[in-house]
Amino acid sequence: MSRRDPFLQVRNLQKAYLLGRFVLPVLRGCSLNIDEGEFVAIMGSSGSGKSTLLHIAGALDTPDRGTVSFEGHDVFAMPASGRDRLRNQVFGFVFQFYHLLPELNILENVLLPAMVGSSVLGWFSRRAAARAAAEEMIEQVGLTGRIKHRPNELSGGERQRVAIARALVNRPRILLADEPTGNLDTTTGRGILTLLKRLSEQGQTIVLVTHDASVAAGAHRTVTLVDGQIRSHAAGGPAKAADSVAPSS
Amino acid sequence: MYKLFLCLRYLFKRRIAFFAIASVWLCSAMVLIVISVMGGFLDLVKARSRGLLGDLVMENSALQGFPFYQEFIDELKRDMPDEIAEATPVILNYGLIRFPNGNITKPVQVVGIRLEETYRVNDFRQGLFFDRYYPGTTMLAPQQVPVLGLDPAGKLVLPPELEAAHAEWRKTATPEDLERAKKQKGAFFDGPGLFYSANWAEEGRTAPGWAQDELPGLISGIDICAKRLPDGDYERYYPRGYQVLLTLLPITPRGTLVDSSPPKVAFRLVDDSSTGVYDIDSLSVYVDFDIIQEYLLMNAQQPEDGPPIPARATQVQIKAKEGVDPYETRDRIRARWDRFMAAHLDQTSEPQLLAEVEIKTWEEKQAKFIQAVEKEKVLVTILFCIISLVAVLLVGCIFYMIVQQKTRDIGIVKSVGATYAGVASIFLMYGAAVGVVGGILGMVTGAIFVHYINDIQDLLTRVHPNLQVWSPEVYTFSRIPNVVKGLDMAVIFAVAILASMAGAVVAATKAARVWPVEALRYE
Ligand SMILES: Nc1ncnc2c1ncn2[C@@H]1O[C@H](COP(=O)(O)OP(=O)(O)OP(=O)(O)O)[C@@H](O)[C@H]1O
Ligand SMILES: [Mg+2]
Repeated sequence: MSRRDPFLQVRNLQKAYLLGRFVLPVLRGCSLNIDEGEFVAIMGSSGSGKSTLLHIAGALDTPDRGTVSFEGHDVFAMPASGRDRLRNQVFGFVFQFYHLLPELNILENVLLPAMVGSSVLGWFSRRAAARAAAEEMIEQVGLTGRIKHRPNELSGGERQRVAIARALVNRPRILLADEPTGNLDTTTGRGILTLLKRLSEQGQTIVLVTHDASVAAGAHRTVTLVDGQIRSHAAGGPAKAADSVAPSS
Repeated sequence: MYKLFLCLRYLFKRRIAFFAIASVWLCSAMVLIVISVMGGFLDLVKARSRGLLGDLVMENSALQGFPFYQEFIDELKRDMPDEIAEATPVILNYGLIRFPNGNITKPVQVVGIRLEETYRVNDFRQGLFFDRYYPGTTMLAPQQVPVLGLDPAGKLVLPPELEAAHAEWRKTATPEDLERAKKQKGAFFDGPGLFYSANWAEEGRTAPGWAQDELPGLISGIDICAKRLPDGDYERYYPRGYQVLLTLLPITPRGTLVDSSPPKVAFRLVDDSSTGVYDIDSLSVYVDFDIIQEYLLMNAQQPEDGPPIPARATQVQIKAKEGVDPYETRDRIRARWDRFMAAHLDQTSEPQLLAEVEIKTWEEKQAKFIQAVEKEKVLVTILFCIISLVAVLLVGCIFYMIVQQKTRDIGIVKSVGATYAGVASIFLMYGAAVGVVGGILGMVTGAIFVHYINDIQDLLTRVHPNLQVWSPEVYTFSRIPNVVKGLDMAVIFAVAILASMAGAVVAATKAARVWPVEALRYE
């Protein structure tokens, strides 16, 4: 990785879904650069492809065309094991619908990425540290005292906070959050946003998808997805006003 | 790490997994039971075959036997003392036995043996009844009938020889022996069946003693002279010393029946023999070798016109010394026999009787039977393994269902970085765990079942006689083999684990292929 390599670079992504005989193009040459430490909000109408973009950027899905590179490494050119490692170490994903494992309690859910990342033997040496990290994350999201509870014993907002704690436990380089406030009432949503802002202040890179302009206002920068392309961008915050949108081709 | 963790979680959280465990459990128990019983049966057959014959057998297939057996036995004992422990001639022939009181006549195989030598060659002695409780009193030589009498104190007693022998047995008998003896109907002179006692008062006698003429002894196969009771013991029809009539079929060296009418010879029933092989016990009677040889005209003879005719025997049974390989000994005896035969061919008018003599080990002699059982074991094992495939399929179905239900969870695990191999191994380990738990349960219950298999069968038989699956007449052994071998257990356990993992393979592949986004897109 050289200095000039952008932190996360999304270039010219194309993605279309087949609906019966129709081809539904969702992403049509979508490009976006994210710098380290940035807090970027992606807005766009429902169905515009925000989730699709975030999934591809987080290596959970593959594009039809275009590239995603992290620190200069082409994500979809590397072997599958490399992407598995990225998902585990580099990206922390917060899903729109939380997606916690119902059989595990809160602590175990949060520990999951740490477990996935280590071998059986490695785990025994790492366990204490991982547990401490998990407990710290749970504390950060304000759920200490409920670590033995099951996800179905938690409210939506609490579940979303668990999901954030899980996404952060491996200290990912980039946090990708897909409408973390979408299913929550305004107050709870504010709480989540405050949490994200605090993380951003600690230097966490965050990419946030949202409908809500007031949520987007908390970010350094807001981009909008229209017609499958990043069309407009607005400085949502004081910092990072530099042009980080690559021209679409 | 998560693999182990998740797989343990799933095992105890998914109730449906218990069906998978149950099917592995039942199948492994079933296979263990079948292999143990069939394997035990095979071992019994082998042990029994050896016990019947000794280690090696010389015979030609001709009814008239072969000459110079004694010379060859002497040579063997003299020249191969390190290999041969004992060798004894046997005569096999056919006859009719008649029990006078019921006018019952049965066809029998008449076996002429030298009792003391036979004791040393094979397990014949273990199957004798009177010889167990009155050791050493069973003889084939001419003898009278022992009769019960009163001692001065007015107690019923047998002649002193028998009382002394019985006292001898009591000294060495274990509590189990005594217990078993007590169950034997009339084993101790209080029953009417075992010794004569009715006439002593009539004849004006009070003391025990010996009565009637001296007649040669005969040992009968147990199923000829007694009835098997459902509990496995026998009810004996005839008292010791009972007179029976044997009609014999003498055959000339040329193989023709002699012209004169067949000899009828009276014997005394002195004991009964239980080899455990029904075909033998329901067909064979044993008499003294030299006596029967004479009646069958197989002894040495000097016709007025012509050369002397040497004595003949049908079989020579040989016991090898401990630790000697019977196959190597067989080869050396064969070589010796070829030389011996060459030297004796011109001394007999029937040289083909010598030429046809074969020397076999007990295994070769019983090969057909042993192989039949061996094949049956393999067949049954294969059959049950095929049945066990059902369990594998069931495990496969259940796992497939679990994967289908848990697609979203698998997507989550993949989205935090689980690899293809990692996800696949969760389900393979899950399969292995099902195999381990089911296998352990199966081994334990299978072993317990096999251990109590005879009690279970007795119970079933009591419920309904038709439920008796192990019939001694069919299987020749009165009890179902009930020993489980550690090796069998280990192999079946390992196979159970592998089979469960194999059952999980399809589901594991499906799980590993889950595409995180597809699984996670909707709630
Ligand atoms: N697997 C799929 N098969 C077919 N069409 C799909 C699939 N996934 C997404 N789509 C379509 O792609 C479009 C973009 O979906 P996406 O979930 O990215 O939208 P979104 O911007 O996140 O919407 P929302 O704000 O409602 O979450 C939608 O029209 C959706 O119907
Ligand atoms: Mg969406």
